[in-house]
Amino acid sequence: MQKHRSSEKADSTLRPTAPPDISGRSQRQRIVDAMIDSCAEKTYAATTITDIVAGAHISRTTFYKHFEDKRACFGAAIDHCVEQLQEVAAAAHSSEDAPGDATRKAVTVVLQALAARPGLAQMLTGDAIAVEPMAIERYRKATIPALEALWARSGRSGKAHTDPRLAFGQFQVLVLNQIATGKADRLPELLPEIVYLAVSPFGGHEEALNQSQLARKSAAGEAVLQ
Amino acid sequence: MIDSPGDLRRWRLPRGRHGLPRELVERSQRERLLAAVVRVTVANGYESTTVGDILGEAGVGRESFYELFDDKLDCMLAAHKGLVDSLGEQVREVYLVEGPWPPRMRAALAVTLDWFAADPEVARFTLVEISTVGPAFRPIFQAGFARAVALLREGMGECGPKPELAQATELAVGAILARIYEEVVLGRAAELPRLLPDLTYELLVPFIGEEQARAAAQP
Repeated sequence: MQKHRSSEKADSTLRPTAPPDISGRSQRQRIVDAMIDSCAEKTYAATTITDIVAGAHISRTTFYKHFEDKRACFGAAIDHCVEQLQEVAAAAHSSEDAPGDATRKAVTVVLQALAARPGLAQMLTGDAIAVEPMAIERYRKATIPALEALWARSGRSGKAHTDPRLAFGQFQVLVLNQIATGKADRLPELLPEIVYLAVSPFGGHEEALNQSQLARKSAAGEAVLQ
Repeated sequence: MIDSPGDLRRWRLPRGRHGLPRELVERSQRERLLAAVVRVTVANGYESTTVGDILGEAGVGRESFYELFDDKLDCMLAAHKGLVDSLGEQVREVYLVEGPWPPRMRAALAVTLDWFAADPEVARFTLVEISTVGPAFRPIFQAGFARAVALLREGMGECGPKPELAQATELAVGAILARIYEEVVLGRAAELPRLLPDLTYELLVPFIGEEQARAAAQP
């Protein structure tokens, strides 16, 4: 599985409206993208290999050259989503930011990325829960240590105010609810709450409230500018 | 094999000939079918469960099934609704009473944890199996979530969410769901009641801060 994952990262998450550059993306990436889009449209349960094959403009034989089955393809799609979000989050802050600020900035861009491509949000919440509950553990491991590291750098780690694993679950539930309510494109509305969740385990309630307020103000400011 | 138990029963007990009022028979059949869909889907998964499997477990005939439900999904959703209703009623009883909010919140949480711990199969059905029914899951999830948020708000009084965290109630419902879901998936539903102090604390912090939440979590 690993050897195919190479230079195709520039696609998808960040430029959801880009024209389909069929020749530019590898077959494997096209399959993964088709899986994500189909999950967004009709959930994983209702997605068939036929849907994926049609969406990726490849043959059924080609699909099976890359993936054993639908489930394996889903696993690859989850990994892809997590990688994309990690990159987006890492690029959003610098080493000079205080941990609370860095967390707020990372959360802001992750929510924007999810809103720009609701299929990612659908996969990482509703579908991951339905298909492979343990998949959650995989990307929780990609998230929590990264947040912890931000606070460790500033010498404020070691004291957990609340459980970060629970905060992660809350994040998922809130995103899932937003999708279920048909408001996937308005995920950034959750920004103050998600920032609170991301900061409070490490920075505590007061710091989390403070960052949450900053996030709310900057979101309001952006809305005014638009 | 698939629906023979149901067929046999129907042979022995033709409808309308055994002197029991039709309504009573249907009610007991309905209840047996609802219990059966829980057991069977948890054991085999929703996708591989057939109506025949449900009939076999319930000892009810195919014809009666289709008089009560449109299909497998309809039966599944009816069972889910019945379970969620019963949990909601139990929570209302301890939560919507007189007194300060934090201890009532703790009591509501205790009832919820006990409910899920009482029957791990039911817990799995209510939280995990239901998520595998495909697109129908979205409205179910959304309705359940909205209902929980509304109930929590109803009993909140003056401890309502502060403006800087407008959706604190959603956070609280999210915490309950996420924690119970995780324990259920890991097969630890029976141990849920032990989480009461920690989870009470986590729930209350966004509303009343760390200090007061700590006090309310360990009365």
